[in-house]
Amino acid sequence: MSATNAPIVDIRHVHKSFGSLKALNNVSMSMSLGEKVVIIGPSGSGKSTLLRSINKLETVDAGTIIVDGHDINAPTTDINKLRMELGMVFQSFNLFPHKTVLENLTLAPMKLKGMSKDVAETMALKLLDKVGIKDKAHQYPSQLSGGQQQRVAIARALAMSPKIMLFDEPTSALDPEMIGEVLDVMVTLAKEGMTMAVVTHEMGFAREVADRVVFMDHGTIIEQGTPEHFFTSPEHERTKLFLSQIL
Amino acid sequence: MTETRTIDVGEGAAIPSKSDWGLFNAWTISIVGAVGAILYLILTQPAPYKRIIYYLADGVVITFQVTVMSILCACCIGLIVGLGRVSKNKAINLVASTYVEIIRGIPLLVQLFYIYYALGRFLNVHDLTAAIIAMSVCYGAYMGEVFRAGITAIDKGQTEAARSLGFNTKQTMFLVILPQAWRTILPPVGNEFIALLKDTSLVSILAVSDLLRRGREFSSETFLYFETYTMVALVYLVITLILSKGVSFMEARLSHYVRH
Ligand SMILES: Nc1ncnc2c1ncn2[C@@H]1O[C@H](COP(=O)(O)OP(=O)(O)O)[C@@H](O)[C@H]1O
Ligand SMILES: [Mg+2]
Repeated sequence: MSATNAPIVDIRHVHKSFGSLKALNNVSMSMSLGEKVVIIGPSGSGKSTLLRSINKLETVDAGTIIVDGHDINAPTTDINKLRMELGMVFQSFNLFPHKTVLENLTLAPMKLKGMSKDVAETMALKLLDKVGIKDKAHQYPSQLSGGQQQRVAIARALAMSPKIMLFDEPTSALDPEMIGEVLDVMVTLAKEGMTMAVVTHEMGFAREVADRVVFMDHGTIIEQGTPEHFFTSPEHERTKLFLSQIL
Repeated sequence: MTETRTIDVGEGAAIPSKSDWGLFNAWTISIVGAVGAILYLILTQPAPYKRIIYYLADGVVITFQVTVMSILCACCIGLIVGLGRVSKNKAINLVASTYVEIIRGIPLLVQLFYIYYALGRFLNVHDLTAAIIAMSVCYGAYMGEVFRAGITAIDKGQTEAARSLGFNTKQTMFLVILPQAWRTILPPVGNEFIALLKDTSLVSILAVSDLLRRGREFSSETFLYFETYTMVALVYLVITLILSKGVSFMEARLSHYVRH
């Protein structure tokens, strides 16, 4: 693997079935360092499955996935170590309800990186400041609004200093008035140069942030391209149909 | 999350819920009644009752020992069995499930006899230890089911969040899942504690001088059956009520983070 131009994520001919249902059908996609890829498509088209197979929350049936030079399915790959480089944000936040906001952020760096409590907390407070909820550090997740919880979830992922961030419909579970505050954090992150793969229905975000938009349907990538190409002159009928429904 | 508090009490004294910590509830009436009755009998008729209670005292200690030791061991076994039951490892899973299946299919009394005599015969372990092991093996299976239910009740997203941060299976279980599972596990475990306490009376059939056996010994010597068993019943009631209060206190403490 050549070091300089090799993609940081390289997905090649990936297949994944759930029973008789083909969730991913020969999907290939790569991401270079710093790139922001937005994945869109109708519900059930395999977007989550694709994203989740990048950090092996789903194990693919066939094909290879290379992350930062490591084949994630190779027996020699320490997946737990590799996952530290892949931050993930879920639709349902999944904060740890028995931990305070601050503890949610410090748990992994302390246990997995051996960071001292002081250092971890200083870093965590900085991150909470960045996502705009430093004042909630000592509250429990259940005391926060959905938008605040999702911002904590983003900060929690960032606390491991990942190289890549994966977002699976981060704003879909939010009340409309809270979507903006989460997207703002994501836009900031993008501007700082984070490599991001984002599954979303927020087309405004895709237009503003994406280097590339990927459209999926029925487990395959139908087409991909820059936002300009994508929103102004999509090639495939299915893409046009989807865009006409969603815009 | 108040629903974790309402428990279906099939057997055993009810664990008092927070809402009936007032003066006139079943728990208060029972404990005042039981303690009052014991004191009344001792004071008004010291002749049989004071002797009875002195004689029973040693048995209370044994019952207490068997209960506490069995609870501790059963919890350890239960945790291991519960983890085994949710394990992705097929062999471990099968072993744990088979254990639970077998234990649940044999009456406790039969198990007690069996384990007690088997241990006595092959390992030369006797009396108190054998009784405790037998109780633990049996209740460990019940507790295992409670632990399994508590673990599987935790949202899958918690595991995914932990794993995506880089935690391995074990760290995920001990740092994220179990600390949350306690909350759901504790009420049914509390019920098991109380059921176990009462079931320790079965060890009186073995050569263990617990509360019930002391009562049997005393009554068969003195022929004061009614008086003795009145005392035995009252003492069991007091102990059970105290334990149930302890469990509900523990529950209140453990659910602090879901207050609000
Ligand atoms: N764990 C699973 N078990 C069974 N079917 C699943 C599972 N996860 C996803 N699927 C199915 O796979 C297909 C793709 O799902 P998903 O990747 O979640 O789609 P999307 O995120 O685009 O809505 C859907 O039909 C879904 O029902
Ligand atoms: Mg999805």
